[in-house]
Amino acid sequence: MNNSKIVSELEKVVGEKYVSAQPEIQFLYHYDFITAEPEGKCDIAIIPNSAEEVQEIVKIANKYKTPVVPWVSGINFGSIATPRKGGIVVDLRRLNRVIEVNEDDMYAVIEGGVTWADLKGYLEKNHPDLRAGITWSPPGTGVVPACLCYGMFDLGMLGGTGAEFINGMEVVLGSGDLIKVGSCSLSNYWYGRQPLPDLAGLFIGWEGTTGIVTKMAVKLWPKLPYRTTYLAIGAKMKFGVPVMLKLSKAGLGICDIYFVNLGWLQSVQELNEKDVIKDPVKNKMPDFFGLLTTQAYTEKQHKAQCEAIEAICTESKLRMRPTEETQAPIQLWGCWNFARGGGGQWIGSYCSTRDIVKYYEQSREICIKYGRPPQFYSRLMFGGHYCVARTNINFNKNDPNEIKIARKLLKEIHDVVQELDGVVMYKPPKWAVQTYHDKTLPATSDLIRKIKQLLDPNNIMNPGQGIGGD
Amino acid sequence: MEKEKKIEYIKEKGISKLVLEHENHKLERNKQLEHYEDVMYQCGKCGTCRTIFKEAGWERVCPSGEFGGFEAFYLGGKNLLTWGITSGQIKWTEYLAKIFYQCSVCLACTQQCQIPEIHHYAGEWLMAMREEAVRLGFGPMSEQKRYTEHIMKENNPYLEKHENRLDWLPSNIKQSPDAKLLYFVGCTTSYREQNVAIATAEILNSLQIEFKILKDEYCCGSPVYMTGQTQKAKKIAEKNIEIFKDSGIEKIITSCAGCYRTLKDTYPKKFGLDHGIEVIHLPEFLLDKLNSGTLKFNNQINMKITYHDPCHIGRHMGIYETPREILKKIPGIELVEMIRNRHNAWCCGSGGGVRSAFKDLSAFAANERIEEAKKTSAKAIVSCCPFCLNQFKTHIKNNEIKAFDISELVRKVI
Repeated sequence: MNNSKIVSELEKVVGEKYVSAQPEIQFLYHYDFITAEPEGKCDIAIIPNSAEEVQEIVKIANKYKTPVVPWVSGINFGSIATPRKGGIVVDLRRLNRVIEVNEDDMYAVIEGGVTWADLKGYLEKNHPDLRAGITWSPPGTGVVPACLCYGMFDLGMLGGTGAEFINGMEVVLGSGDLIKVGSCSLSNYWYGRQPLPDLAGLFIGWEGTTGIVTKMAVKLWPKLPYRTTYLAIGAKMKFGVPVMLKLSKAGLGICDIYFVNLGWLQSVQELNEKDVIKDPVKNKMPDFFGLLTTQAYTEKQHKAQCEAIEAICTESKLRMRPTEETQAPIQLWGCWNFARGGGGQWIGSYCSTRDIVKYYEQSREICIKYGRPPQFYSRLMFGGHYCVARTNINFNKNDPNEIKIARKLLKEIHDVVQELDGVVMYKPPKWAVQTYHDKTLPATSDLIRKIKQLLDPNNIMNPGQGIGGD
Repeated sequence: MEKEKKIEYIKEKGISKLVLEHENHKLERNKQLEHYEDVMYQCGKCGTCRTIFKEAGWERVCPSGEFGGFEAFYLGGKNLLTWGITSGQIKWTEYLAKIFYQCSVCLACTQQCQIPEIHHYAGEWLMAMREEAVRLGFGPMSEQKRYTEHIMKENNPYLEKHENRLDWLPSNIKQSPDAKLLYFVGCTTSYREQNVAIATAEILNSLQIEFKILKDEYCCGSPVYMTGQTQKAKKIAEKNIEIFKDSGIEKIITSCAGCYRTLKDTYPKKFGLDHGIEVIHLPEFLLDKLNSGTLKFNNQINMKITYHDPCHIGRHMGIYETPREILKKIPGIELVEMIRNRHNAWCCGSGGGVRSAFKDLSAFAANERIEEAKKTSAKAIVSCCPFCLNQFKTHIKNNEIKAFDISELVRKVI
């Protein structure tokens, strides 16, 4: 790859300041600096300022048949923005504008590099009666990638995954062509993806291997005046989960339900995993912590909802009390820093709500076997139709041996929970993608491969992630 | 089970106390790079350092990053580049040095980061990397070398003659040759913001405070220290302390935020020069006099103002309220806050050697702050750092907003 020639062409597109092939810049894109996944290689980094510039970059990449990797913050626990095969990292951070908020249809049209802080700040200043679903990822991470990779928000009970919050998109394809999907393809309104053929699916879950999303409309929700968050504490996951499932199906204005074990709770409290109790259950510590938020339009309605929630918990002998709620993207540094070594990764999956407890117990046993405090988290989604289940592990990323052990541990958890029917990992690293390739019907795999080839004929879009037979 | 002693259990109630990691593990400050090499890689490049997220506003806070564009120019990038160096993954280059110098070390980034060690200590390795750059010949930047040479020769970074240092001093200012209190004027005030010096001296006179100004006042060394030239800065400090001692100084008042931080904090803590001289910043002194009733405001200024927190007394020294308390006591003054205030304040873009070596970044930062001040509908930006003041005056266009030092306002109402 002739870097200098490509750099020179790219400079004409975005200006000299926003292209770099300096080793220091390459270093900061070659690895996501959190996971135990292998490092990649960045040849050139570029920061475009418009969809048109993204198109030009992709056309140049096609000309040289060099990879293009879309990037916003580059941390996602699956290393799916790590350039596996070198090439150009397209850092979308300058595409950070909120283009429009439609209060009537409750959506925001944002550019591809808008962060949670950008969106939250914009709404607070300009549309304080609306709220976006907010993720737990740090405020500097991207909204668009979170939606595209099935991230989950604190309104997950209302709207499902981030993907289900997407109303429409503007996308630069692997060919460099610009398309729009959803109602915005026919009008100025970005109210939804219905009733056209839903082309959004060509980009959701594809980990940037079919195109670069330069604009997206995401659903917003009204801020209802009455809102209470409850904290429930139970002895074991198996006692708490059925109560949460019951609540999720009770129609009580619940917009968010999630629960964690003691390990997870400790990880987000500035503790060091070496100093905490490894097995709470054995030590008779509480190991179920549930949080749910209910909201209502009137006080009377809210009171009735709260009474019903409390009654269900009392019946089930689950201790529960109102707690302070903050809606904010927060730096849950415990996700990667519980071992005080800056390394963290998860086996995070969508699955049937039937298997939450099994998922936890199986992954818990493995963590304890390795001498690690199990960290488990689950969120019920879309009215309780499905859930997320996730086990985190942490390590010292400066210690090759710890990375090796972390990889082994992750693989072991993955292989065990995969035996539960319906467990499908999100933001999966390449080695996990391969599992699904093997499981899927051959014709399904073939269709994915053909779609990938159609949208990215030169296989330059984020190659090496295992998508579409790559 | 030794480790588990750190958690107290109360029967049937569960955990009563958790010992947090930052309570366990305190690092020393002002050390060299190796001292921090086991903590900097805790950074996950998550981007929290870029944005205020705990207070309203959700504004960006890092002038270096917003101007530089690439992650390298934010704290996350610098943390990981530092790790790259200490772990041998990358090598020193001129460009790497430029990345670390293209930063005013305002530390707004560290205020946002919630990893305890990075929150508390990242400023230490940002400075240690500059020291390392100097040691290896990659730093400081050429303009910074130029002003350092001038400081060594003429005792100021402004390429002015030492003999002209006291040109600002009006004949009506009364000094006491035997005073043990020194008004340390500083280079920026002496050569560029002489109104601040005059106002400060007049305030001291009006309070009948016995003080003196040294004929041979030298640069405090801040511009040299902040650009990683620690040994040279230490020599300057030694010279200054010798002069202070020879002049019988027991207490220093300074109207400069940078001089204050350097004399009070850097001399003893970084250079190990425990001079034993009390150092106070003018606003501290004024508030004390106001509270004791010695200083009274007899006139009024009818003006809406906004206060800009200088990095050198704000984030570097933790002083946020003292200047505000004085301003609120001035009759007629309406103090309004910019969105980014106190520990979240946007830097004016003049410190850390940026104004001399990276003029575009410096102007970008200043203009952003001026625009923010204008949005408050204030008629003036008030600060208590002559460097910030001079930066604002340089970049304010068409007199659209005014800039004052706190001493100038106080002088008008006494």
